[in-house]
Amino acid sequence: MAEPAITHRARIVPRGEQALAAVTVLAIVGLVVVPLTRLTWVAVGGGGSSIMRVLRAPGFGTAAAHSLELAVLVPLLAVPLGTGIALLLRRPDVPGRGGLRVLVVLPLLIPQFVLGYSWTQAYGRAGFTDDLVGVRWTGLNGPAGIVVVLVVDAAPICYLLNTVGLATRAQPQLELAARASGATGWTALRTVTLPLLRPVLAAEFVLTFVATLESFAAPQVLGTPVGYSTVTTRLYTDLAFGSDPNSFRDAVTLALGLVLVAAVILVPADLVLAPRLGSRRTRQSPGGTALRRRSAGTAIMAGLVGAYAAFAVLLPTIALVAAALTRAIGLAPTPSNWTFDNFRAALDAPTRSAFAHSLQLAVLAAFALTLLGAVLAALERHRPGRLLGTVAMLSFAVPGSALAVGLLIAYDRRLGGTLTLILLAYLAKFWALAHRTVSGAVDRLPAGEWQAARTSGAGPIAAVRTVWLPALAPALIGAWLLVFVSALHEVTMSSLLYSTGSETIAVAVLNSQELGSIGTTAALSVTLTAVLLAVVAPAWLLLRLTARRRDIPAARRRELAHAY
Amino acid sequence: MTLYTCASANVEQAVVTAFEKAHAGATVNVFRAPTGQLNARVAADARSGGVKADVIWACDPLTMHGYDSQGLLRAWSPTNAADIPSAYRTPHFTGIALLYMVVVVHSGAVAPVSWADLAKPQFRGTVALPSPTFAASALGLLGYFASTPGYGVTYYKQLKSNGAVQVNAPADALTGVEQGTYKAGVTLANAAYTDRKKGSPIEVVWPRPGGVAIYGPIGVTTKKDVSPLGEQFASYAASGAGQKVMAGQGTYVTIPGLGGPPLPSGAATVAPDWPSLFGSYSSVLAKYTGIFGG
Amino acid sequence: MPTETEETMRCVGLQVSYGGVPAVDDLDLTVRPGEVLAVLGASGSGKSTLLHAVAGLVQPSSGEIWLGGRLVATARRSTPPERRDVGLVFQDFALWPHLSAVDTVAYPLRRAGRNRHDARTVAQRLLDQLDIGHLAERRPAELSGGQQQRVGLARALARSPRLFLLDEPTAHLDTHLRAAFQSCVRDRQAATGAAAVYATHDAGEALALADRVALVVDGRLQQVATPEVVYAEPVSVATAVLTGSCTVLQARVAVAPRGGLSVDLGDGPVIVDGGGSLEVDPVQARVLLRPDWVSVDGPLRGRVTTCQFRGTHTDYLLDTGSGPVHVQAPGPPTHAVGQALTWGIRRAWVLGVDEPDVREAVGPQPSAVIAPG
Repeated sequence: MAEPAITHRARIVPRGEQALAAVTVLAIVGLVVVPLTRLTWVAVGGGGSSIMRVLRAPGFGTAAAHSLELAVLVPLLAVPLGTGIALLLRRPDVPGRGGLRVLVVLPLLIPQFVLGYSWTQAYGRAGFTDDLVGVRWTGLNGPAGIVVVLVVDAAPICYLLNTVGLATRAQPQLELAARASGATGWTALRTVTLPLLRPVLAAEFVLTFVATLESFAAPQVLGTPVGYSTVTTRLYTDLAFGSDPNSFRDAVTLALGLVLVAAVILVPADLVLAPRLGSRRTRQSPGGTALRRRSAGTAIMAGLVGAYAAFAVLLPTIALVAAALTRAIGLAPTPSNWTFDNFRAALDAPTRSAFAHSLQLAVLAAFALTLLGAVLAALERHRPGRLLGTVAMLSFAVPGSALAVGLLIAYDRRLGGTLTLILLAYLAKFWALAHRTVSGAVDRLPAGEWQAARTSGAGPIAAVRTVWLPALAPALIGAWLLVFVSALHEVTMSSLLYSTGSETIAVAVLNSQELGSIGTTAALSVTLTAVLLAVVAPAWLLLRLTARRRDIPAARRRELAHAY
Repeated sequence: MTLYTCASANVEQAVVTAFEKAHAGATVNVFRAPTGQLNARVAADARSGGVKADVIWACDPLTMHGYDSQGLLRAWSPTNAADIPSAYRTPHFTGIALLYMVVVVHSGAVAPVSWADLAKPQFRGTVALPSPTFAASALGLLGYFASTPGYGVTYYKQLKSNGAVQVNAPADALTGVEQGTYKAGVTLANAAYTDRKKGSPIEVVWPRPGGVAIYGPIGVTTKKDVSPLGEQFASYAASGAGQKVMAGQGTYVTIPGLGGPPLPSGAATVAPDWPSLFGSYSSVLAKYTGIFGG
Repeated sequence: MPTETEETMRCVGLQVSYGGVPAVDDLDLTVRPGEVLAVLGASGSGKSTLLHAVAGLVQPSSGEIWLGGRLVATARRSTPPERRDVGLVFQDFALWPHLSAVDTVAYPLRRAGRNRHDARTVAQRLLDQLDIGHLAERRPAELSGGQQQRVGLARALARSPRLFLLDEPTAHLDTHLRAAFQSCVRDRQAATGAAAVYATHDAGEALALADRVALVVDGRLQQVATPEVVYAEPVSVATAVLTGSCTVLQARVAVAPRGGLSVDLGDGPVIVDGGGSLEVDPVQARVLLRPDWVSVDGPLRGRVTTCQFRGTHTDYLLDTGSGPVHVQAPGPPTHAVGQALTWGIRRAWVLGVDEPDVREAVGPQPSAVIAPG
């Protein structure tokens, strides 16, 4: 054949690439390496004695086993759940698709710090289901409950990443080709759709694994009643007695242990596995239309997703809203007991300014990390770049309290008490979220598009804007959303790094939580969720629009509109 | 000046505001966080140029003792030291607020007469117990019983075999009882009274031998250029005027007879032996986790 | 009733709608065993939809689709694509980015139950037959367009179906690759003896490949006939332009007494070959002229508007008293632009009066002239 085969690899950003790489390396050093190094010094400060002390402490082995068991189980359940829902809700013939899509991502908007309360109130003893139908879930307190709550918490992220992945990777055309080659729907899913999604699934697995390893709220609330401890709950205990230098050192050592475990999983996954999972796109393939066949199975599965949403989202959310609206805990949520006092308490003047700070930080972090995540994902096309990606993930594995300590030690003298320090913490913590979301889409960029733009007179920036940005839009918006939501919900680091004048919403949350006023805490998180919805809903809409547009390029859509 | 504290926001804010009013031109920067975060912040400070607070106001003597043994607190006594019982004073810090660990029961449930009743069959499977690995107040309770004849760590064994459930904070025990998840729970008296006033269906019980007192100490740090306002603030918080402001927020204080929700007639208070607990808390805690896990 | 098993494919009253808008409407079409049927239509005329409906990728909104005597689709039920005996080649190749060429071709064989080794062996043989055996281990990103489409063809061949569906398979290929791919398709089709439906918008491709050509305009079937007939005897202007360049003029026409056709463009009648919808008495009608039916020598007068040398022939656009006329003359240009000349008609086709298409004449811009063959 006379036409040359495309065998060379595209340069990421000719000329600008090295500058970008330099900035990224600098950011990694500043945000990850420096704080982690500082923490390591703390841990070995006692001559390394804390390592042996931690390892030998009674119950450590059990706690470590629990942590690992959760970290493996939760992704094994959450990734298939998120994938299944994303695949189902991609079908245009699903009844009530729009509503289900919103319900499925809703847990993302409910902060972790009320997760435990809302679940106990929904399903625990004297909870909703117990009061109404006499059914209560005895396993809620304990590993089963922790797994379920963490899975429900992680599933929206998996769902979101899959939606992005499906939009950018799995053109319906490729599935149609499988069907026309004799594959049943399930076989096409197994042999074409899922293999195309592999990099995305891997990213989800890794993210969920590390997030579970680092999770604290759910194990703490639901594990304590049955004495189920994890590395993070032990870390919290050590911190609670951290005025004793040994306890504090033990806490830091535990945190670094989690980083070590994460690294052991991540390094081979990123350096060896990831390059084999990707698959470069060959041409701008029009979407075609998904196979349209009405089936009873679709309705049944939609029903199942609906039931899941009701179980995982609706009841716990109702519990939360009821708590926010009720005068005192323990009273029936009937109109005579309704009050807005909780909202008034939750929205006093200092809290309003804290809201402003949090919003500002979350927006800044979301934009900065979408950019940094994209840059990192682009650099990942080369081996050293992949290593950078792995390192950026390590700070995600550090429990927030320890990461904040590392940042304080490193930067407090210069940045102490400023919002910048909190922003740095968010950047360090959530970089991986943005990066993994984008990296699942970056290998979709064919070399030709970039070159075509450059030879059509576009400078590097114009080429990024006109060629890459539209192609990556669903992934970028997804990354932005995840970072924004996570930053707004962040409590641990912000409550450790703030000072007068740089309070965030976390401070208000902890205040009301410590007072034991569930009503105020619930009112705060309901308000937070409302704010989130106001910001997230348009972004989510945008994501869906761009995802759809990605399915079928504009010109082709016109043609299809005419053709069909 | 800068204040590090873990006192609840409303109490701390009231005292700071009153102090700023009484001392024209004084401004207090406050870092308020739960004990764990407070510890982390202090530890980070210590590793980047020394503690940045002039005054630390903690929620329990154990945490304060930890800071003291790191040399973070200077010798200081409030100007009205004589008004405060000596049990709440050390050469470096002085108790100003008091927390009482008591029992709450859901309205209509049988109330325990003594702490020991919680381990009896009528409370089987319905008691919520805050975890001493999570909350210092719960550790104070554990410390008290561990060194009290007739109870000891065995008491916790009995509670466990009677189906008592471990929760995190005293506030969680309170919420659990209010919701009806548990019939009885161990929690802090002032918080329980506040909720009861709002209408929560609970009764506050002071079992024999008494509510267990945990004091919240304040002290001045060894920061190099410590602000002269630091000592003034600490002394103000310990003074009758300062403690009255706290009492106005529903908190018990250390000057006897100065307020907080009135104790029911016949209610008594007891206190753990803190100095001995300073040395023994980790072994007591280990025994506890051997029973309840976590 | 369409039950005769000798028909490989039969569509009866087929309608496929998207959001209520029919993309294919009231279409009746049969494909006989071993036959190559080209579906020729402009882009967006519903060709892809028709093929996708036959393959089972979309369900009809009314009508029936029969494959090998088996009813496979109605508005109510539809046999899934994997249970239809067809092989589909996509316009956009639709190769799976994660599979090598040989695995791609082995895919249908695996689905048919062959073990991995067998499937790969057969796949390799198919790739060898298409001269891309040496590229077996490459993934799509490492293949050129022509190579990719050969892999796509091999994948369809691997199903050994009784009917191939080719959806504009050369749309994204260069001209020189098209010819190679077409002969490849024809060879393989002849070797397997299977029937094929070949959708295209390229008249040359359709006329060269097909045993019969189906002309589709706006989702409706206009004419099905041999390539010669659809070229020489179009039912409408719309179908005529699909098969090649043409000129339509108003003339008085009648059946010539001694056979043939009497055409009067105003300069008196000329007798030519041809036919169409004719009356014995002269009537005013629209007459279709193909460029190769006209010559630059004869009884009629005109002037050269444009002149383009094409190597094997020269295209002239003439300004005549009746309108522009496209003429194809063998050899290099013999007349310059602006020059007056005489011209003649060898053959003409008279279009029906009640034809829905109201375009008076199609005056082709020389640059848009399509020279069939």
